[in-house]
Amino acid sequence: MSGFFESMRCSECIDWGEKRNTIASVSAGLLFFTGWWIIIDAAVKYPKMEDFNHSYHACGVIATTAFLMINAVSNGQVRGDSYSEGCLGQTGARIWLFIGFMLAFGSLIASMWILFGGYVIKEKQEVYPGIAVFFQNAFIFFGGLVFKFGRTEDLWQ
Amino acid sequence: MAGIKALISLSFGGAIGLMFLMLGCALPQYNTYWPLFVLFFYILSPIPYCIARRVVEDTDATSNACKELAIFMTTGIVVSAFGLPIVFARAVLIQWGACALVLTGNTVIFGTILGFFLVFGSNDDFSWQQW
Repeated sequence: MSGFFESMRCSECIDWGEKRNTIASVSAGLLFFTGWWIIIDAAVKYPKMEDFNHSYHACGVIATTAFLMINAVSNGQVRGDSYSEGCLGQTGARIWLFIGFMLAFGSLIASMWILFGGYVIKEKQEVYPGIAVFFQNAFIFFGGLVFKFGRTEDLWQ
Repeated sequence: MAGIKALISLSFGGAIGLMFLMLGCALPQYNTYWPLFVLFFYILSPIPYCIARRVVEDTDATSNACKELAIFMTTGIVVSAFGLPIVFARAVLIQWGACALVLTGNTVIFGTILGFFLVFGSNDDFSWQQW
């Protein structure tokens, strides 16, 4: 029984090979843009301020900013094994990535807060806008993670 | 000769896809032309990859960041083409039947565009890179 999971090698039973980066990009795109279309749908269905407070859109915008920040630096830059120094070097890349991940987690937490604080606790008739905000941020967050860590930079060389 | 056959079958696919799109718009019981906006997505969808291919110099690398960004953008455009009619249908701007026809057309058209890249993308004697 022990050692059951050790014999399972996930990276070896599927041969990602050269297609790995393409698959990661496609799934990241699917997640990210599905997230945005969910919130567009909610905004179309509930145009009134009482049903869907327009300031809740800020959450998704922050998540998108975080997505761009996370993916603007390469893993090699953070580890310090890239050829060029960049404008701020390794420390700058680390701080940039730190702020990016902080914004990403922050927007995910904020969307949960909106769902529960704005809709569930107040016992509104329509809970769907809150759920849409939550799913939008979750999809953008996981899209960012897939785009960042799903790709390998070995294929670039 | 293989190029000609592929070209003809791909254009057939494109025509079928556009037919589904027009059916979703023009059938008498639907008769609303809002779904035609997905035409923009059809035109936009190959653009990122074409740009990336021109920008990136052809090295030995199997992939690079610019091409992956282009694939990401292309996926976004494709998802938008599927999302728009669904949002239209949920907003009761078009009916669900029309939405289903448009989605079928989307699938066929994007399959055609993908086929175009697969057939003519890697071929050496008749390639996009000569343009």
